[in-house]
Amino acid sequence: MKVTVRLIGGFVYTLGFRERELELPPGTTVAQLLDAIAIDRTRPVIVGRNGWAIDLVEELCEGDRILVSPVFSGG
Amino acid sequence: MDGWTGQFLRVNLTSRTFRIETFSEEFAHTWIGGRGFAVKILYDELAPGIDPLGPDNKLVVAVGPISGIPAPNTGKTIVAAKSPATGGYGDGNLGTRVTDQLRKAGYDALIVEGRADRPTLLSIHDDRVEFLPADEVWGKGTMETNDWIYARYGKGVGVLNIGQAGENMVRFAVVRSLEGRSGGRPGMGAVMGSKLLKAIVVKGSKPIPQAFPVAMKELGRDDLRTVHAMDKEAAWSIQGTTGVLPWCNEVAALPVHNFRGTHHPDAWKVDGERVHAARVATYGCPNCTMRCGIGIPDDEGREAEVDYENIGLLGPNLDLFDLPQVAALNYLCDDYGLDTISAGGVLGFYADAIERGAVSGDLRFGDAAGFKKVLGMIARREGQIGNLLAEGTLRAARAFGHGSEDYAMQVKGLEISAYNCKFIPGMALAFGVSPIGAHHKESWIITFEVKQTTRGSYGRDKAQKIVDLQRIRGGLFESIVTCRFPWVELGWGVEHYPTYFNTITGSDWKLEDFWPISDRIYALMKLFWLREYPQTDRSADFPPAAWFDPANADTEGPIAGMHLDREQYDGMLQHYYDIRGYDTRGVPTRATLESLGLGVEAVAAEAYVTLR
Repeated sequence: MKVTVRLIGGFVYTLGFRERELELPPGTTVAQLLDAIAIDRTRPVIVGRNGWAIDLVEELCEGDRILVSPVFSGG
Repeated sequence: MDGWTGQFLRVNLTSRTFRIETFSEEFAHTWIGGRGFAVKILYDELAPGIDPLGPDNKLVVAVGPISGIPAPNTGKTIVAAKSPATGGYGDGNLGTRVTDQLRKAGYDALIVEGRADRPTLLSIHDDRVEFLPADEVWGKGTMETNDWIYARYGKGVGVLNIGQAGENMVRFAVVRSLEGRSGGRPGMGAVMGSKLLKAIVVKGSKPIPQAFPVAMKELGRDDLRTVHAMDKEAAWSIQGTTGVLPWCNEVAALPVHNFRGTHHPDAWKVDGERVHAARVATYGCPNCTMRCGIGIPDDEGREAEVDYENIGLLGPNLDLFDLPQVAALNYLCDDYGLDTISAGGVLGFYADAIERGAVSGDLRFGDAAGFKKVLGMIARREGQIGNLLAEGTLRAARAFGHGSEDYAMQVKGLEISAYNCKFIPGMALAFGVSPIGAHHKESWIITFEVKQTTRGSYGRDKAQKIVDLQRIRGGLFESIVTCRFPWVELGWGVEHYPTYFNTITGSDWKLEDFWPISDRIYALMKLFWLREYPQTDRSADFPPAAWFDPANADTEGPIAGMHLDREQYDGMLQHYYDIRGYDTRGVPTRATLESLGLGVEAVAAEAYVTLR
């Protein structure tokens, strides 16, 4: 299945891309996706699917747009 | 008294006199400093009903026990007064060299009273206080004023100044410092202007009293290095706060077209990556480990310092997606001394009101030149419309009528920061119950809502989280006075702050020891509001009607068809009151006040509101 990953903020620089389409096996979870793109999970990460909250244990679906962001406290 | 100078400097501009006052250790331990000192002083000393733009108002400039100490991001100062925007207690913080210079001069707070008889520069050098003429820069912007001061005093002094907006008492004029720091959204710059106080310059030469200065020096040095390294590793300050913009766009929380939209396909044109690419300079506050002020060229080649809030409100909120144009509006706001958040809110509201026929005019969304022109009219209070918009969205809406108050995006008279809560109930409540109006600094719950709960819930957990965040952000950080960014953005644990506090003051406080003080500060800010508005009810804690309006719901995107539910919001508000120990009107109960050590204030409050 194909999903699109959109990185926010510092992740763009630490991982070297902003947005990328990935081919993943069915049943891939959010946590597995984060590991696959080498997100540093020792720091708080917010993950959204199509603009909505998503837990790390949830499975991804074909066509998902996954937003991976550090935590902010406002401007 | 280790950790505090134990002194206030009280200055009267009318009589051109000053005196140094002392305060007790008990007072210091009860209110800590910064916002705690400011609200206590203003509550005790201001008569109810005074004109916030009259000589009876007082400006308090206050620091806290860790302010100015070499440790991560401790360069902040609080400016406070009765707010011209809300009529309640108002304050803000800004990064400035005043922070350490005021403490080195021997003061934890400066209290400015009265009104000068001519434009004045207040110069404080240790125990020497001078009232100097500032006619030469009256009518000038903050940039030129700052340069004028530096030319006379050098760059090592602490400076607070105002631009034309403050002079003309625009109700959302701010206080400015350094190259691009602003503070005091609820009109603190207007209070300075009302006193004909153009600028304050502070220079000190005394050591800051500390219990364990050697230990603090080592601890602070190590932590400055550590947090700076954390920032480098996380790459946070490459975009600074402007990294928030694409996130808001993706989760439908961006203010677009006076908050009517929540996302826009052109938002990427003004996001953090574009800002970083355009960067020509970087700025930070004193003792900063993660400098977030990014200077970029505006459409006239001037350098404008931008962050998320001002891009969000002066960009997408006005349908502007050209970064140099947005930067130009930001530059003008900074130079006039206008709050960028409120300015963007006011301009968006005005364009919306024209579009909806509530008022006639030729300003249109997306008209950068038109917005520039109106900004100048506001700063100068020029013409009927400039004068009216200088009053802020709430007062302008009341003048426009035709239901425009429903989409005046403010709470309690202060414009909403750049988070569109059309369908983010907890953040909407955070704006609603913020004691100074719709400011994001009190409690920023969006990430909690998105990450740990369902977005559409109105549960007690969100109300509890708001209280928890208020205690840390609005209580702890605003009273010890430090920047919150290392804590959230980099995960620098909040437990570090009691360590700093204890090392400086010689105390043995735990984190939880600060929570009753935070609650006391919030209760006193609430009493200040109730004393000014004794007939107030829980409707004052509601956000604008537009967020509850089904007709205003998005027609596409993640939250298509969704909007806040008034009844459920009201239920969540009650959870907040219950947790805080307030009654159904939002008034602290007598038992709550007494438990917070506000028994005397409770008795006094009975004169204007019935306590339950």
